[in-house]
Amino acid sequence: MPPFLIATVCVLAVQAPSPSLTARDSAFHALNRLAYGARPGEADSVARIGVMRWIERQLDADHVPDPRLAARERQFKILDYDRADLAGRYRDAVRERQRMQREAAATGGGDSMRVRGSAPMREFRELGGELQQLAIVRAALSERQLREVMVDFWTNHFNVFVGKGADRFLLPSYIEETIRPRALGNFEDLLIATAKSPAMLFYLDNAQSVAPGSSPPRPFLSPFRRRRFGMNETRRQPTGINENYARELLELHTLGVDGGYTQQDVINVARIFTGWSIERPERGAGFVYHDWAHDQGDKVVLGQTFKSDGEGEGVRLLKFLANEHATMHHVSAKLCARLVADEPPDGCIDAAVAAWQQSRGDIRTVLRAIFTSPDFWSAQAVRSKVKTPFEFVVSAVRATGVEPDDTPRLAQLVARLGEPLYQQPAPTGYAETEEHWVNSGALLARMNAAVAIAKDCSSVPAIDDHAQLVDVINELLLGGAMSAHTKSVILEQLTDITDPGQARALAVGLALGGPDFQKQ
Amino acid sequence: MTISRRVFVKAGGLAFVSLGLDPLFLARAAFAAGRPAVGPSDRPILVCLFQRGAVDGLNMIVPHGEPEYYQERPRIAVPAKDVVDLDGHFGLHPSLAPLKELWDNKSLAAIHAIGSPDATRSHFDAQDYMESGTPGVKSTGDGWMNRYCQHDREHADTPFRAVAFGPQLPRILAGSAPSLAIDDLQAFGLRVPQEAARDRLTRAFEELYDGAGTGLLASSSREGFEAVQMLKRADPTQYRPDAGADYPPGRLGKTLLQIAQLIKADVGLEIAFADCSGWDTHVNQGSSEGQLAARLRELGLALAAFNRDLGDRMRNIVVLTMSEFGGTIRENGNSGTDHGHATAMLALGGPVNGGRVLGRWPGLGVEQRFEGRDVAVTTDFRDLFGEILTRHLGTTDLSSIFPGYTPSPARFLGAIRG
Repeated sequence: MPPFLIATVCVLAVQAPSPSLTARDSAFHALNRLAYGARPGEADSVARIGVMRWIERQLDADHVPDPRLAARERQFKILDYDRADLAGRYRDAVRERQRMQREAAATGGGDSMRVRGSAPMREFRELGGELQQLAIVRAALSERQLREVMVDFWTNHFNVFVGKGADRFLLPSYIEETIRPRALGNFEDLLIATAKSPAMLFYLDNAQSVAPGSSPPRPFLSPFRRRRFGMNETRRQPTGINENYARELLELHTLGVDGGYTQQDVINVARIFTGWSIERPERGAGFVYHDWAHDQGDKVVLGQTFKSDGEGEGVRLLKFLANEHATMHHVSAKLCARLVADEPPDGCIDAAVAAWQQSRGDIRTVLRAIFTSPDFWSAQAVRSKVKTPFEFVVSAVRATGVEPDDTPRLAQLVARLGEPLYQQPAPTGYAETEEHWVNSGALLARMNAAVAIAKDCSSVPAIDDHAQLVDVINELLLGGAMSAHTKSVILEQLTDITDPGQARALAVGLALGGPDFQKQ
Repeated sequence: MTISRRVFVKAGGLAFVSLGLDPLFLARAAFAAGRPAVGPSDRPILVCLFQRGAVDGLNMIVPHGEPEYYQERPRIAVPAKDVVDLDGHFGLHPSLAPLKELWDNKSLAAIHAIGSPDATRSHFDAQDYMESGTPGVKSTGDGWMNRYCQHDREHADTPFRAVAFGPQLPRILAGSAPSLAIDDLQAFGLRVPQEAARDRLTRAFEELYDGAGTGLLASSSREGFEAVQMLKRADPTQYRPDAGADYPPGRLGKTLLQIAQLIKADVGLEIAFADCSGWDTHVNQGSSEGQLAARLRELGLALAAFNRDLGDRMRNIVVLTMSEFGGTIRENGNSGTDHGHATAMLALGGPVNGGRVLGRWPGLGVEQRFEGRDVAVTTDFRDLFGEILTRHLGTTDLSSIFPGYTPSPARFLGAIRG
């Protein structure tokens, strides 16, 4: 039996992961970090199963049945279209818009706003909105909560901005085919999949990185011809290397900014990936390797020589990077910042790195090491993290029993709170730490969102007795952690309200928008 | 209010040191400590408009003295007879005629051939660089305006020091210094239709957060409620522009009107930022009339209204337009322009050394162009931004605002009066 399994079995025998936490508090904590918060009654059911056993089930996501989500997913049209379909729809929308622009200009109208509203473009935009709404429905409803948390983590770690040219139609397949199947898999596989994904190749410009002086055999139709499918940002045939992907690969995806690489390493990494590009959209915009564009010289990265052997060289480099100590440390620290604390203690990071090393980057093994680390269960970690806007909205939806509908309403709420999904232009992705999410405007927006969500609350019964009402809210929404101050302020606000429905809406709104619910 | 706030910060400071709370909160609290009170002031104000989509600088500030301009743009050049001449060589697009008055009284300057040292022709990358202030470096986490706020602590006593008008905080203001994104001044705060109910809910949330002790949640919510109160007193719903200023209909006019409101409300605004979009004119750009003309007309009318509305207060205000790059010198096959390199910017206001086209003009000859096709960049945008930060806002630490760049007053264009 491999050592990590022995460790798991030992931990499973332990009833409560921390002496300072009750079984129910442990369950609530686990639901805050491995899931998007507790649904009504869920903390009790997890405590009954045993929190470590529940964690094991979450790690084994494939065996968790999820029929309700599957039924909801079928309502999303975007899942019926593959990359080529979406490329075609986008091309049609762009053509229609150009036609209307020409028409508007010919009739002397300069109103470009009207042109934007063309039907195919509107339809395409609605599909983009669906993608955001789908993320919310999955996070809110899935029984495989940890997988959804990890999909969000990796989507953000390997960020692609949906608003950049072709990524408008490449992003859905990136989420569905590149990230989701690998969210609990192996880091190396995930890294290679993102490197070969058309969305990333386009986003960080590697698709147009070619060895200086190389030129395509004729006839060659470049995907970068002017104004083709909105990719008009590069006009001519590319003429040299583009370091963008290489730099972010080292700095963000693998080694980290202090990972010990030099500018020359960046250049050599870029040379290794010359020729990694994408097909024309008519052909499905898939990954393609152009040997004519590849730098055929040998390259040295971090002291390792990479002999030129075409496409295989890049794969060897990615495998090398995936298993570098700096990578393990950088990504483990980031995982701990998400799952444990904004400034994670060394203990959980070291445990994650050790698990990474011995499992060669098995994500589930690394996660298990974090969840069994004492740091994860420490009093300093519990309720210490401020929720991101996405976590805030989804946890509020789960706690209140609001059914996420097909309208973009909830996605718009998340955007208004500062985290529009898939719309972070910078390759860093969204930040994990509280200083990025807590500012005065954003807090007021959270209060407004809380009041809006509270109107649809179905999990809390409309009770006449205010003290009882506040107790129920405390249990369902905050796992019993409502401060005495919050309780008294809410009760005071309820004094002259006689309608139980109105009292519920106000009390739930204050509880969701107040300071206690911002934390997890 | 100032006194109670300082007491809070002081008391909070003692508490969070012992609790070991995050250094950002310490930093934010430090901003607030020891500040002069906010009040009607002669403090300088910077208003920035980002023309997203890359405005064609050549049709905005027209080089009507250059034969190449007319040779390369047979369909979209602005005819010399329509150009509002400035100095015999350059002129305003006719849609910007409302600004001529400001040129004549020396409070409007144009900056030509300005842009990024990075050659990218991607909107996305170029906007990113102009906002991060670090051309060529993607990983810069914060924007240069936020870094200015981090290092120059004169205004931190107000939640309204740095305000972006729009639903989200733009990249240029992202970072650790507090800044606000306001989509609509009148709707800022809790969204409850009846005023009494709104006030009540606001007080309830205020009380809830009062009990949150110290930390970022407590200090930020306090700033938020303070902002709500300040705005309530300023009563933006009752605003009437002065001097019969007539803002054009549309988003830009409304935004500039709200910026004027906030300035006149004396809530401590130092930096205002807003987007105006629709400048990416690849198809049927038009010349004296058409798409670009319509966008420029709105810009000209809005800026002129803003200037009139603020009247004497313009003595402390600089308004700057910026855009990620310009159009190609030669018109394309669709009577538009493709992504070029350098563009033009406008600076107006009392402190502006106006009545001049600033920057070294590289010319439009083939050998003078960037990569044989575009207006060359002769002024790095950081030289202009740096000059405004130094000579207008009075910063002394440019190198931390533009990391990796060595600012030099020798390269300043003289956009701000000495």
